[in-house]
Amino acid sequence: MTTAGPACRTCERRGPELVQLGGGAFDHLVALAGNPNTGKSTVFNALTGLRQHTGNWPGKTVTRAEGTFVREGTRYRLVDLPGTYSLQAASADEEVARDFLLFGRPDVTVVVVDATHLERNLNLVLQILEITDRVVVCLNLMDEARRHGALVDPARLSKQLGVPVVPAVARRGEGIRQLVEVVERVARGELTPTPFRVRRHEPEVERAVAALERTLRAVWPDLSNARWIALRLLDADERIEQAIREGELAALGAGGDAPPTDPVAAKQVLEQAGRLRWTLMPDFHDRLMAGLYREAERIAGVALRVRPGSGAAEFNRTLDRLLTSRWLGFPLMLGVLTVVFWLTIAGANVPSQRLADFLIDFAHPALKQAAAAIGMPGWLNGLLVDGVYLATAWVVSVMLPPMAIFFPLFTLLEDFGYLPRVAFNLDALFRRTGAHGKQALTMCMGFGCNAAGVVATRVIDSPRERLIAIITNNFSLCNGRWPTQILMATIFLGALVPAHLAGVVSAGAVVGIALLGVAFMFATSWALSQTMLKGEASAFALELPPYRPPRVLQTLYTSLIDRTLIVLWRAVVFAAPAGAVIWLIANARVGDASLAAWAVHWLDPVGLVLGLNGVVLLAYVVAIPANEIVIPTVLMLTVLLAGTPEVGAGAGVMFELDTAGAVGGLLQAGGWTLLTGVNLMLFSLLHNPCSTTLYTIYRETRSAKWTAVAGALPLGLGLATCFLVAQVWRLAAG
Amino acid sequence: MGPGTALIAFVIALVVVATVAWPRRGVWPRLRQVWRLSERVRLEDALKHLSLGEHEQVPRSIESLAGVLGVSRSRAVDLLGRLEQMGLVRSGAAGIELTDDGRRYALRIIRTHRLWERYLADETSLAPAEWHDAAEVREHSLSESEVERLAARMGHPLYDPHGDPIPTAAGELPPLRGVPLTALEPGQRGTVVHVEDEPPAVFAQLVAVGFTPLARVEVLERSDSAVRVRVDGQEGTVAPVVAAQVTLDPLPEAAMDEDAGATMADLAPGESAIVVRISSHCQGRQRRRLLDLGLVPGTLVRAELDSALHDPVGYRIRGALIALRRRQAEVIHVRRADGAT
Repeated sequence: MTTAGPACRTCERRGPELVQLGGGAFDHLVALAGNPNTGKSTVFNALTGLRQHTGNWPGKTVTRAEGTFVREGTRYRLVDLPGTYSLQAASADEEVARDFLLFGRPDVTVVVVDATHLERNLNLVLQILEITDRVVVCLNLMDEARRHGALVDPARLSKQLGVPVVPAVARRGEGIRQLVEVVERVARGELTPTPFRVRRHEPEVERAVAALERTLRAVWPDLSNARWIALRLLDADERIEQAIREGELAALGAGGDAPPTDPVAAKQVLEQAGRLRWTLMPDFHDRLMAGLYREAERIAGVALRVRPGSGAAEFNRTLDRLLTSRWLGFPLMLGVLTVVFWLTIAGANVPSQRLADFLIDFAHPALKQAAAAIGMPGWLNGLLVDGVYLATAWVVSVMLPPMAIFFPLFTLLEDFGYLPRVAFNLDALFRRTGAHGKQALTMCMGFGCNAAGVVATRVIDSPRERLIAIITNNFSLCNGRWPTQILMATIFLGALVPAHLAGVVSAGAVVGIALLGVAFMFATSWALSQTMLKGEASAFALELPPYRPPRVLQTLYTSLIDRTLIVLWRAVVFAAPAGAVIWLIANARVGDASLAAWAVHWLDPVGLVLGLNGVVLLAYVVAIPANEIVIPTVLMLTVLLAGTPEVGAGAGVMFELDTAGAVGGLLQAGGWTLLTGVNLMLFSLLHNPCSTTLYTIYRETRSAKWTAVAGALPLGLGLATCFLVAQVWRLAAG
Repeated sequence: MGPGTALIAFVIALVVVATVAWPRRGVWPRLRQVWRLSERVRLEDALKHLSLGEHEQVPRSIESLAGVLGVSRSRAVDLLGRLEQMGLVRSGAAGIELTDDGRRYALRIIRTHRLWERYLADETSLAPAEWHDAAEVREHSLSESEVERLAARMGHPLYDPHGDPIPTAAGELPPLRGVPLTALEPGQRGTVVHVEDEPPAVFAQLVAVGFTPLARVEVLERSDSAVRVRVDGQEGTVAPVVAAQVTLDPLPEAAMDEDAGATMADLAPGESAIVVRISSHCQGRQRRRLLDLGLVPGTLVRAELDSALHDPVGYRIRGALIALRRRQAEVIHVRRADGAT
């Protein structure tokens, strides 16, 4: 039984709450480390059976995932660390991974290694071997390596590294059983690895390390990795310095019950390290890395046999040339995206209708009757059924089908490896606006859902560019806004031309709005780079992984679970109270009119200046939680104020009409013009993100300031655009 | 209100906002600039000037102080008087000198300034010409604990991006080393240890030629009016008076060799090369990223995939296909691999 370890603030894995998470205590703690995109998450899923989303995209597991598995009565807790190339703590990911390995003290560390990129992966393995002895290497993607003509000999590799090496094809579950067996034997102490450690640095480095190591051992005699800690101190690793100052290091050596460190001794160690640093070459860090890679190269040379000219590598290259070629790259990309969007819109139509038939046309009246039958007072019935239930039902029926189509399609492209190529092709445009090429991906994701797009910005590893991607994501016209665009375009723009052209014109208008959004995204990225987020585009290294045959069924399942349902759940949580508010403002009366009528009355002058009207503005205020309910709210309010209850479903009850023509008639009766329609399309593109997205932005940035910017910036742009369009329009119309 | 009036009102509002808030030229940024030049800032700048004089063993006078601070001579005398009252400066036999307290105070300001420049160079993408001014502002506003946190986070850097040593928290400053560029004969080579960052016009010229600390320089030709140099493979010419602002560590003849001047960005698709080193221009997080990818000296790289707009380019590095932007590929010096194209 493992005892609870002391002080590890960034990784409280052994705390009591973790034990509860696992449904009880665990016997062994296993860490899962590795480079990005090595199939680490797949190994994790294969071991635990948990469905964590995996993608052919470097940098997926940004937060830590945890799971358990039981083998012959022994309980294992598995922690999936973020994928990193190194453990120098240069980024948040590396810090999380390193801290866990050092202070979390796992019983076994499984390093997942991509057999196709052995050298680069060995760099990380060698760094991990410096920290901990109990390492098992899982040599994953053996099939892919074979296809690409790279034959790795696990026995030789194991001999070189001094730790067990298990070959595996995690996607197909091959080698997982053996992996568990080896992990078990290492955890029980039946198998004791004797890891290889890089011992040959330059004399001046070795002198400094030896001196510092002596001091460390004198202060903490039980320290098992004093040499590594000495090296990190010479490389000025802040976290290690902190660990020394705060006594965490003492706990490491003695297994949790060390006497507190003498602060004077700690200070002396740090001062000695500071002095020794001046004796080293300025490119000390470069030399350390060169040393590690020298060894990685040597070991890979022993364990790897390359068979040149394999078919898969050739196929990969040909496909790459095609997809990134000057003439075909962009048309192919646009083609793929068009197909994705078309499938989403066309495919979602019928299921959306079916859901609406059931949830709104059938279940809503039924619920209402049921509530009346049990004697619920009318106002409560209205609030709960007409307000809360209806808003939620609306969001689900409009949002679920397109997301359930869009996300799996997107995930399939991701799994296949196409998305990094999109970023690769588009990077030049993003570079010029001071943004990151991967923003292309988060932008596309935003077309599905802005909240999901904001989460996806995690793959961008430089903070400035990530913030730009987060703030500008709202300019991607999301699924929830398409219906508004299509409806407005059909009613107001389609009607301007002969019937046989109406479809083309309205579709073109919607595409135009989406492209306008992309233009705003670029312009805003550029403007932010010039002002608030000043700076030029920083480092950019994009790994283009080999293409992998996508796994259709698994993708469907996982993307449904972890993108669609999570986003939907959040939207519902926000939509339910909005429903209550909408019902209340339509029914609560002040004086001789409802709250809604007063609000519209006050907002009308503002709306007029903006080329909109009070109804639209009020609808956007109360429908902040979800863009999906804007149109139903607009219709309900229009009817409420026009005093034509025979059309609608009653005060506070959102509704939609079967045909665009009927909606058009209603709106025109409410005083809508072509200008109102056009400006509503513009405002629907350019306004604050929905509250789900705002909440997500806050969670991702942890900053009220940037959340406020992300909210105010598009809103300000939208108000200004609508205002300008309205004035110019009126001027032109005389 | 008619649409025409509304539009005019909007344009006026826009102009007003722009005049107030425009970066650097607007009213608000200018007000901040004036406010920044408060008494304390002037005093701190004076201390810094005196301290740097001590370190570089250049005597300081009232004239030099007035010149650096951009104030009249009488105002400079005034400031010195205030510093004397505060016990930070005394007028001794050798002219104006710092007291121990004054020295400590000044070194803290210098430490903050240089650390902040290092931070701007490594962690942000601000252009080199803007580092100094930004640091001039920050050095007066960062608290001591903020400075220490920053230093720790950046791994206690030893030098600022111009090659000036950063004083330690204990107030130690290592001695300067090296010789001015003008001391080198044609054919001699050296590593840049320091590039003087004032006055800004001179610094900009030096940056344009490619002088940064750790850059390798070879003097090609010298005359009374010009020095022709090769800096990290790139040729340039500077006036001797400008060249004197660069300090070098001369290199033994044998140490230089390898620079054919090619970088990864020069590789045509399909060409291979061996990495010689990462240019000294690339520091901090960006350098670490490149090293982590395995771009250490001796690594075989191959330009493999051109993107639709020719930038970035995909390189085969240790088996993986990695896309790098042109600007990054340009900092990686390579030697074309013989026959391995």
